[in-house]
Formats: sequence, C-alpha cells, structure tokens
Amino acid sequence: MPADYDKGAYPEPPRQTPVVDKQTALPNPALILSKLFYYSVDLPVTTFRDAVDSIRAKNKIVYYHQKFRRVPDLTECKEGDYPCYYEAEMQWRRDYKVDQEIVKVIQERLRACQQREGHSYQQNCAKEIQQFNEVTKNFQSRYGDLGAYASARKCLMKQKERMMAAQAQNA
Amino acid sequence: MVGMSALRSVAAFAARLSPLKSGNTAANLLTRAIPRTDKVAVRWGHGKRLFVIKPSDYYDRRFLRLLQFYILLTGVPVAIVVTGVNIFIGEAELAEVPEGYEPEHWEYYKHPITRWITRNIYDSPVKDYEKMMAAVQIEKEKADMRLTQLEVRRHMRQQGDGPWFQVPTLNKELVDNSPKSSPDH
Repeated sequence: MPADYDKGAYPEPPRQTPVVDKQTALPNPALILSKLFYYSVDLPVTTFRDAVDSIRAKNKIVYYHQKFRRVPDLTECKEGDYPCYYEAEMQWRRDYKVDQEIVKVIQERLRACQQREGHSYQQNCAKEIQQFNEVTKNFQSRYGDLGAYASARKCLMKQKERMMAAQAQNA
Repeated sequence: MVGMSALRSVAAFAARLSPLKSGNTAANLLTRAIPRTDKVAVRWGHGKRLFVIKPSDYYDRRFLRLLQFYILLTGVPVAIVVTGVNIFIGEAELAEVPEGYEPEHWEYYKHPITRWITRNIYDSPVKDYEKMMAAVQIEKEKADMRLTQLEVRRHMRQQGDGPWFQVPTLNKELVDNSPKSSPDH
C-alpha cells in the first residue's frame, strides 16, 4: 500500500464516536448501511487491489529523486559568458518550480485545516494562516509579476529594484 | 407439388383463389395446408403499421462504422498494452539513492512506459543540456568573431597598413618618364 501522509502537517481531529447505548430491539440502520457498503464496495475493491499488488510484486521497480548540483549564479558569471548564463538560467528555472510546489503545499495545508476546523478555522488555524501569508508574500515579492516569459535576468532586475526601493526608504 | 396428382393440385389452386367456398376447407384437401392470406396471424402489436419514408442513412452509418473501425484498429492494442503494463509491471516506488550509486537517467521517472520512452527513444537530459551548452558556445564564438571582424575592418580602413582595403595602383618603376623628363623634348 502507498505510504501514509504526514500526520504532523495534517492532524486528525479527535474522534467523536458516541458510546453505544442501545435501548431498542430494532436494528440500527446506520450499521446495516455500513455493512452493506463494506460488502458491496470496500471488500471487492480491496481484494482487487491485493490481487493486482501480488501480480506486481514480482516486477518491482524503483525511482529516485534527482538532486542537481549548485552552479554559479547569474551574479557570479562573467559578462559575455553565455554557457554560464545558460547554467544559471536552468538553475533558476528549477528553483522557480520548487518554489511553486512549496506554495502549493502550504495552500493545501491551509485548505485541509479549514476543512477540518469548519466554522472556527480563523482561530484554530492561526499558525497555518500566518505561514501561508508569509510564504505567499515572499513568493509575490520575488516572482510576482514576472509573467510568462520570466527569466533569471528579469528576476535579478526585480531584486535590484527591491533593493533600491529599500535603500531609498532607509535613506 | 411433386407428390400430388394434377387434379389435387388444381383443387388446391382453386381453394387458394377462393377459400370461402364450401368445398375448399383445409380438411377437404388433406395433404397440405393452403396459405390462407386473409386469416394470417398479424403480429404488429397494438400500433398501426406504417411505411416510413426517410432519406438514406447508409452513408452516415457507413461513416460511423468506418470511424469506429479505424479508431479501434489502434485503440484496442494500445489499451491492451497500457492495461497490461499497469497491471503486470506497475508504477515505480520512491526510494533513497543507495550509497555510491549513480542512477541512470530513466530511473528518475515513475511510470514504466515513460521510463521505456526516455531509455530507448529520447536522449538523456544530461546530453540535451550539453547539446544546448555546445550550441550556446558556438553562437557565442560566432558573435565574437563577427564583432572582431568589424573592429579589424575599422582599423584597416583607418590605418591602411593591413591586407584589406588595398587599392591596386600603378607601379612607379614601370612608368617611362622620358617624354616629360626634359622641357624641350
């Protein structure tokens, strides 16, 4: 079976199953329906999955996570050294993708938290909300309006503008 | 009407023509049942039988039949292959890179068909990267050469002591100045 999700990032709410205190002789419809669902849907699906897994177990293959070496940045390239520019550009693109995935994970956590807490999400998910705000603000300031043809050079120029604005504000 | 005599066949024909005459019931003629066209069991249910006149749908049905055939011609083998791969081989699982082992470039993909394609059809991403870097380097060298050529042109035109921009002129040693060398020649 595939690995379970990270229980720390997506905590489960406390279980609220009530204590069974049956006072009638009538059958419990919830129990009947759950048993029906189990026998008609859950059991066939699980047996099919187990059958397919036992067939697949003979030809197991693995895949790895590729780690790229860090190369000199755009700021560390000599002027006119186009291969260096290309390597820096590729590294920036990989970092951009990674940052997009990070934002998606934080969004997913906030969504899960809101779904869990229901109407009281604003106070119970304060940590997730604060994390989300911080991450999205940073992402916006770094990659914000670069557009579809974003490149490492444009991002660098945006950073330069940011630094100039900060310096003008401090002075 | 092979096994019947001529008379019996005439009587059967007469009964067929006028089945309501007294001597012409089925019991009288014994051998075969005559088709009684007025008392046939009509199995049309309760609706009125209509002769619907509509334009030919042969061409439309032929098109749909051919479409179905040509789609399924490659669709069914592809579906069988993909289902077989998913059931018998299955997707890869994420694992840590073992110590001192450099995975091949196809071992970074999950689905077995993607792995096969990147292994047999595509070049490895490292090779693609190097190809792009080589193209960038060649273009850089071309651009640098063009700039230096412009620079050299400028210098040679200005100084005039280089091999370019040489205008061929007459050789002074070959000129015979004797007609003009003395005033009263």
